[in-house]
Amino acid sequence: MAGWSEKVLDIDLNTQTYKTYPLDMEMARLFIGGRGIGARLLWDLVGPDVDPLSPENVLIFANGPLTATGYQTSNRFSVTTKSPLTGTVLDANSGGFWGMQFKKAGYDVMIVRGKSPHPVWIEIRNGEILFQDASELWGLRVYALTEKLGQNNHKRNVLCVGPAGENLSRIASIMNDRERALARGGPGAVMGSKNLKAIVVEGQYRPAIADPDRFKFLLYETRKLLAASPLTSQALPEFGTVVLMNIMNNIGALATRNHQQTQFEGAEAISGEELTEKYLVKNASCWACPIGCTRVSKTDRVEGEGPEFETTWAFGAQCGVDDLAAIIEVNSLCNDLGLDTISAGSTIACAMELSEKGYLDSDLRFGRADLLARCVEEMAYRRDLGADLTEGSLRLATKYGRPELSMSAKGLEFPAYDPRGMQGQGLLYATSNRGGCHMRGNMVGLEVLGLPKLIDRFQVQGKSSYVILHQNASAAIDSLVVCKFVNMGVADEYFARVLSAVTGIQYATGDMIRVGERVYNLERLYNNREGFTTKDDTLPPRLLTEAPLDGPSQGWVSNLAPMLREYYRTRGWDENGVPTKRKLADLGLTDLV
Amino acid sequence: MVDTRIYEMFREIGRDLYVANMISSHGGNLSIRLGDRVVIKRRGAMLGQLKPHDLIETRLDKNDSGVALASTELLVHRTVYLNTPALAICHCHPRTAIAFSLSRDEIVPIDNEASYLLKKVPVVMEEFASGTPQMANKVADGLKNYKIIMLRGHGSFAIGQTLDEAFFWSSTLEEACQIMLFTKQINESFIEYRKMSESYNKF
Repeated sequence: MAGWSEKVLDIDLNTQTYKTYPLDMEMARLFIGGRGIGARLLWDLVGPDVDPLSPENVLIFANGPLTATGYQTSNRFSVTTKSPLTGTVLDANSGGFWGMQFKKAGYDVMIVRGKSPHPVWIEIRNGEILFQDASELWGLRVYALTEKLGQNNHKRNVLCVGPAGENLSRIASIMNDRERALARGGPGAVMGSKNLKAIVVEGQYRPAIADPDRFKFLLYETRKLLAASPLTSQALPEFGTVVLMNIMNNIGALATRNHQQTQFEGAEAISGEELTEKYLVKNASCWACPIGCTRVSKTDRVEGEGPEFETTWAFGAQCGVDDLAAIIEVNSLCNDLGLDTISAGSTIACAMELSEKGYLDSDLRFGRADLLARCVEEMAYRRDLGADLTEGSLRLATKYGRPELSMSAKGLEFPAYDPRGMQGQGLLYATSNRGGCHMRGNMVGLEVLGLPKLIDRFQVQGKSSYVILHQNASAAIDSLVVCKFVNMGVADEYFARVLSAVTGIQYATGDMIRVGERVYNLERLYNNREGFTTKDDTLPPRLLTEAPLDGPSQGWVSNLAPMLREYYRTRGWDENGVPTKRKLADLGLTDLV
Repeated sequence: MVDTRIYEMFREIGRDLYVANMISSHGGNLSIRLGDRVVIKRRGAMLGQLKPHDLIETRLDKNDSGVALASTELLVHRTVYLNTPALAICHCHPRTAIAFSLSRDEIVPIDNEASYLLKKVPVVMEEFASGTPQMANKVADGLKNYKIIMLRGHGSFAIGQTLDEAFFWSSTLEEACQIMLFTKQINESFIEYRKMSESYNKF
């Protein structure tokens, strides 16, 4: 069938063997690909008795029917696993080139099981799967390893872990194409725990498209819409994602100093404007992306991709640091070591507050840009305080007796948007299946940017409907798999039409959103099975009780309780946050429980 | 009780619909979905002069006492919400678009903005064109694939995440139809300026 390769690659690292078999196409119809298929497979493969860092956990790499078709941003793929940071279902999603190449190798899904007895890397080339000894590569950092294994953006692509993954950092990322990251929730630690250093792929097939004429028309119309949107044609290309720094600061929703404030006096110094003016070398873009939000920036010490907005915020406002050069350098270091920049920065911020308040004996203080790189190095190698930091902020804060100082939900550190200035975002964080995350239906579109139209960011009543729609749409987009930035210029209806043109299966917009709802409910069931309950759908006490003393969000706390009640009811879940039988039957998930 | 912020949203869009000549004094209706509930204009209320008590909150999936007060078109709104991802609906009577709906099965705009935004707007027909299950199903079917449709001789139904998004599609359609009308009146040959416009009717 067009769109899918209809092939699963199943690797057993215990024996260094593999098998291939047909993709279950009924599963593909119901869950599309990427995150959706990943969640469905994880449900069967990894139960509540499995430690995320044990050989019994799996890594599920999956692309989607749109991947490698040439549709705008059809370069993405995801990895699904049980998170060593949160214990929840985890999928992380990345751009670049590797996902496109993996699809062109002829596979929809790759399942990696077990643990190799010695370090190994996998090479997928000319239809062969080769297990290569990685003993000599173990310990190499990402940039050196990527070059050594022959990275070539359009031909041969490298996905790997750095020292952080090898050392089982719970905030370790998997890196691909040198500087792209499957970052959140610690998938790099799972890969490291399997003694798997890298997966290199070369592809040769072109995916089939069911209705090429309609596809060509939609490709053209999408290009027009992206060119017409100021966000995708001007703001992102000119300033990158860091364009959000001043915007969020101006509305008083930029979390600052471990969420002690909602505005940062140094925001201008770490803004997209400043990055472009002083450090930008050129733009770059992922495969088939006309937006080109990637920055290539340069300081006296480093040159490379980034930093993204969340990274700049995490090591900037969240740590009270206004030294953009230091942030660019620590971003590069995180990429080289294979660390999630959001969790790394936010965990350091948590340690800074613990230290300033006397709960932790360290020299960390807000504003100490000079200590960022040292902390990150220590995290990757589990040295000194890094051994605690690399466990993430919740474990760190708990160890030092102040768990409430971890700015996280379900143990995953928040990104930049402070829920006290965006009521919907608070509900989003609290109910996100992988923990405090902005990529599970970001409300910044509706509450800040006016996409598709602006809603009142302080409104409480009715917010659950928006959050649910965006969570479902987000799960669908993550299953296609394309970049959410396209959605800034192109409505969901286009994705449904493109999916129909590529696969030949007619999906209305509502059908696609319903796939997202199915995925979201399945992920929730997974978390319920792992023991997560309504008590985990919450925010740190600071966000619920401590209102900002000044700024545009002055006097506001997150009004979570009524939104959460409305959310459960609207989701069709019971008061304990469990999907009802009626809801599961409606979504075709009854057989799972 | 409906939040003041929500009432203000209804009042402003309702007033704009009236001022833009897209409804008569008591015509049209607006609604939003709040989870498992719908907030909709009261039956007989004037959209151009909404008061807080003109908004009726009722259940989405079945009747309650609110049905005695809600707009005649409540069934259509409910059916649309149950069959699409819509969170807001704008139903109005745009005059030029209604005129075009009487002679064609789809309206394909020729102006730049509506070509970008709408591509084409299907026209559906239902004899019992007010508040009936037949009409509700036809409208909902159309809105599964399009953000705005015309009900022949009656008016438009547009969906969105917010009321102003749904209003945007409605006013865009009416503007497009006015431009089409003017070009007919000018009666000069049309110079195509849009690449692949021949594919719009396949959208």
